[in-house]
Amino acid sequence: MLQVADAMDPADPAELIAAAADGDLSAFEHLYRQFSPRVYGLCLRLTGQREAAEDCTQESFVAAWRALARFEKRSRFSTWLHRIAVHTVLARRRGLRVQYEVAEPDSGLPEVADPSGDGPPLDIERAIAALPEGARHVLVLVSIYGFSHAEAAQTLGIAEGTCKAQLHRARGLLAAALGVERS
Amino acid sequence: MNDPMKKSLDDLLADLPRDMPPPPYLWSGIARRLPRHRRGRSPVLFAAAAGVASTCLVGALIWAVLHGRPGVPATQPVRATEPAVAARAPSLDEPRDASYVAARDSLELSFRQQLALLDPATRAKIEADLAIIRQAHEDIRKALASDPSSPVLEQLWQSTWHDEIDLYEHVVQATQPTMTRT
Repeated sequence: MLQVADAMDPADPAELIAAAADGDLSAFEHLYRQFSPRVYGLCLRLTGQREAAEDCTQESFVAAWRALARFEKRSRFSTWLHRIAVHTVLARRRGLRVQYEVAEPDSGLPEVADPSGDGPPLDIERAIAALPEGARHVLVLVSIYGFSHAEAAQTLGIAEGTCKAQLHRARGLLAAALGVERS
Repeated sequence: MNDPMKKSLDDLLADLPRDMPPPPYLWSGIARRLPRHRRGRSPVLFAAAAGVASTCLVGALIWAVLHGRPGVPATQPVRATEPAVAARAPSLDEPRDASYVAARDSLELSFRQQLALLDPATRAKIEADLAIIRQAHEDIRKALASDPSSPVLEQLWQSTWHDEIDLYEHVVQATQPTMTRT
């Protein structure tokens, strides 16, 4: 399993967080500049739709601003923020189900993910976007963003065994779609 | 036989960029939506109450200045005659159209449901905060009844029902279930 989250996260900028929690919009903008690429990437891959990812990124940062005063320093800011983003995506998805407005994945992902136009990343992004939703969510969190199975299961509200099964399914579908070895 | 030049799935996943720059216009949309009242580090929605309390104080002082009278204590409700209150119809009043009212009622229902799940101490704190907001709303309404042309009071009036909505949203968002089933 890839453990990228801890390895790639920047140190939590405690002063910016404290200032933003006291209402300093400039400090919050700095936090946004620092953390939004990861949040946007996460939302884009979870939703498979650019417009939805933009909405979810916006909602996530608005929610984070409102909740900053309750952020506990013992947890990592990026982890806290990513949880908000995942919940926002799931909440939006539930809302869309109610309104019968679920759209098919659009073509936004590859253009954003692969601006150079190289082949493999474009293909894999398309294949990930085309995965069944549950499998895609687990694959994105565990295999791309480095969540442990326990973290992903808790965040998604599923059993850890289900999480592992979904990952197995996702990897199988992805490997077949791309014509590559699973590992 | 495996093709040594062919990447495995793990390789492909590892090569994916984790960060993707969001479109540049996204921040301006976020900044427009952020509530601007200052917030402290104290727990559970104290900030909303503090904001409204300061609103009450400022409102009472401004109202007193506009009327050329000594300052009125912030905690003392401003007196006004009821007929004048009934005649008052602020132009910045809370919207009354059906879609807004339905959305507001839905939000309030969610707020009540989530509130019921909180521990008693937290619930009491939030209800106290809500009472402060509503008291401020009532005080400003009465002040407006005596001075309907005051733009400052109108703004304060508007801010109190915004604060109430913010409080609802804050509680609903803060108590989003962490265990949700897909």
